[in-house]
Amino acid sequence: MLLRWQLLGIISFLLIWEIGAILVKSDLILPSPARVATALYMLSGKNTFWLSIGGSFLRVLEAFILSTLIGLATGIISGIKPQARAFLNPLVVAMRATPVMALILVAMFWFPAWQVPVFSAILMAFPVMHTSTEAGVHAVDQKLLQMSNFFHVPSSLVFWRLRLPSALPYILSGAKNALGLSWKVVVAGEVLSQPRMALGTGMQEARLSIETTTVFAWAIITILLCGLSEYLFGLLADGLSVRFRQSSQEENQDLG
Amino acid sequence: MNIKIENLKKSYGSLEVLEDVTFSLEESCITLIIGPSGCGKTTILNIISGISQADSGSIIGIEGRKFSYCFQEPRLLGWLSAEDNLRFALGSLLQSSSRICDIELRIERFLQEAGLWEFRKFKPSQLSGGMQKRLALARAFAFPADMLLLDEAFSEVDLRKKIELMEDFLHLWKDEKPTVVIVTHDIHDALYLADKVIVLSQRPARVEGTIQIDIPHEKRTFTSSELYGYEMELYRLLGFDRTI
Repeated sequence: MLLRWQLLGIISFLLIWEIGAILVKSDLILPSPARVATALYMLSGKNTFWLSIGGSFLRVLEAFILSTLIGLATGIISGIKPQARAFLNPLVVAMRATPVMALILVAMFWFPAWQVPVFSAILMAFPVMHTSTEAGVHAVDQKLLQMSNFFHVPSSLVFWRLRLPSALPYILSGAKNALGLSWKVVVAGEVLSQPRMALGTGMQEARLSIETTTVFAWAIITILLCGLSEYLFGLLADGLSVRFRQSSQEENQDLG
Repeated sequence: MNIKIENLKKSYGSLEVLEDVTFSLEESCITLIIGPSGCGKTTILNIISGISQADSGSIIGIEGRKFSYCFQEPRLLGWLSAEDNLRFALGSLLQSSSRICDIELRIERFLQEAGLWEFRKFKPSQLSGGMQKRLALARAFAFPADMLLLDEAFSEVDLRKKIELMEDFLHLWKDEKPTVVIVTHDIHDALYLADKVIVLSQRPARVEGTIQIDIPHEKRTFTSSELYGYEMELYRLLGFDRTI
């Protein structure tokens, strides 16, 4: 039922786009969906297209893994230790407030072209992961912690069996947001730094050749890849959540 | 050795909770502290267990004792099975000289005695409210301690379930007979379980009276006339004999 509404939403969006393209009457400003689809088909016949997808995907993966691991570690430490939280807070606030473009431009002075998108994405995605993890560690049920203290449960067991499963929904949600952000920042970084084999580079080259239709095609493929990876990560996250937590009411087989 | 609690006083800021509380706890007996809601019963339990400190007064004979606890709400880890919840609570034993097989045997024994062995792989949300409370009781008894503290552990269930729960409690208790302190506001708990009842006044709490119930547990039922006298005495000490 919901799928039907999703399809209806996509069709409506394409329809509005098509009407807009008819009204504008210029492929240079707004190409029609059909023209963009044709450009996408043409692009898919080239080797560079697939290599660009592979290159960007690897950069996103690298940025996502590193930002997730760093954010997870610092988020857990500052969730448990208020001193660590106070120490890291100014840094995290500053990183959150930094404009993406400013970060990319500065990174271009420091790193070779292929590393700029990764570095920028790590710095943008890290605060998201850090904040979510910290919130998750804080969200642990204080009564369960008190129970653990009462039974003198070792702190390692409290961490693995109580704190981590309690924080898991927050961690997974943070990781999902960090993944989406990684895609956006990596592609933005590629547009500016223009490394070899990159979606952003393709986009920039098409812009310089004033091929609006091809720019749209690159943008569409970026959106699709970002959406697909978020969807697949969502499936993985749901699996993990079910494994660690008994959450939904539907699973409740109350014997009372 | 009996435990003597003498002249406990406790205030939270300007709120005086315990005025002057003195009573004793007998070894391997069930002592029940009853009083109106909010009169400071849990505060007494927290002072006995060392969670909080009294402003003045003393507790003699408590040194070196190990405590176990059963809370008002079960406080189970929802993502762990029944047996893993016990394993979690017994985690500290792994650091002592206890062997894993001894811990496993202990878990099995208390789950069996609480009638939950068949449900050992079930998660708390798959158990009824009464079974969750039984699991919390099994956990409290499985943790090796010489004093067991129960905070309103039999509340929030209907009378039939409460009786079942209290029978399970007595069954578990008779095994090792730890010294038990129960706090409650329910007269049924006192009549069915207590060897000794300490009746507290409204806040700030002081001891209104002490009742020794000499009837063996197995002879106590809610319809037995022998308990009637104790019930009337409890009502009197709690101030229910006065006309409203």
